[in-house]
Amino acid sequence: MTEAVIVVALLLVGACATAAVAVRDPVRQSLVLAVLGVVLAVLFTVLQAPDVGLSQLAVGSALTPLLLLLTVRKVRRRAQRAPDGPAGRRGREGGP
Amino acid sequence: MNGWILAAAVVLAAGLGATLRGVVTGPLRRRAAAQNLSTALACPALLLLAQGYARPAYVDLALVLAVLGPVGTLVFARLLADELADDPPHARTATFTAAALGAAVVVAVSVATGPGRALVKLLVIGALLVGGNLVASRALAGGMQEGRRD
Repeated sequence: MTEAVIVVALLLVGACATAAVAVRDPVRQSLVLAVLGVVLAVLFTVLQAPDVGLSQLAVGSALTPLLLLLTVRKVRRRAQRAPDGPAGRRGREGGP
Repeated sequence: MNGWILAAAVVLAAGLGATLRGVVTGPLRRRAAAQNLSTALACPALLLLAQGYARPAYVDLALVLAVLGPVGTLVFARLLADELADDPPHARTATFTAAALGAAVVVAVSVATGPGRALVKLLVIGALLVGGNLVASRALAGGMQEGRRD
């Protein structure tokens, strides 16, 4: 029974990490990364390493998405403020 | 054969599998709601695992997740408010299902634990889990925009 939980957690981590790579939009990627942090914490708990899981939860569930979203917002604002500058041109080309 | 660990495996496979599918496909509002539900479903799974391994220290993980999960959802609700304003996510059935599952798991684990200091901790985790889940869903569904208009 213990092995079954480990297999389930490993499958979830594999699927979630693959999805995090496959999603291209940074905003949606941050949502997938938040779920990946939670799933990784569950995997660490199942493998009897709850201390690693605690730090993973603290970093993965709130801090990583916050940093990513703040970066996206700053890049977008800079692109809007200077539409003719190099940052604006890059932002428009890379944007969806 | 440990029933607690079996229940945790079922919650993980069904609940987190469904939220994983929701967070990968569909429009942005569905993805945000699925991210909220993933923390609300992982917390009961961690409680069940702590009971299954007979290690009360593992309950700390569920406590941290019950505090930080809604915080993460509020980060998304605040920073994605412009994108979510046109089409706010309303996942009422799923939210109440997750809240009911969390409450049922907390009650079951509390009954197995018996009275004492651990019971108080479990009840605090349950209150944080259900309350945080409901507050975060409400913020996603438009509470942030109401606050900004004032």
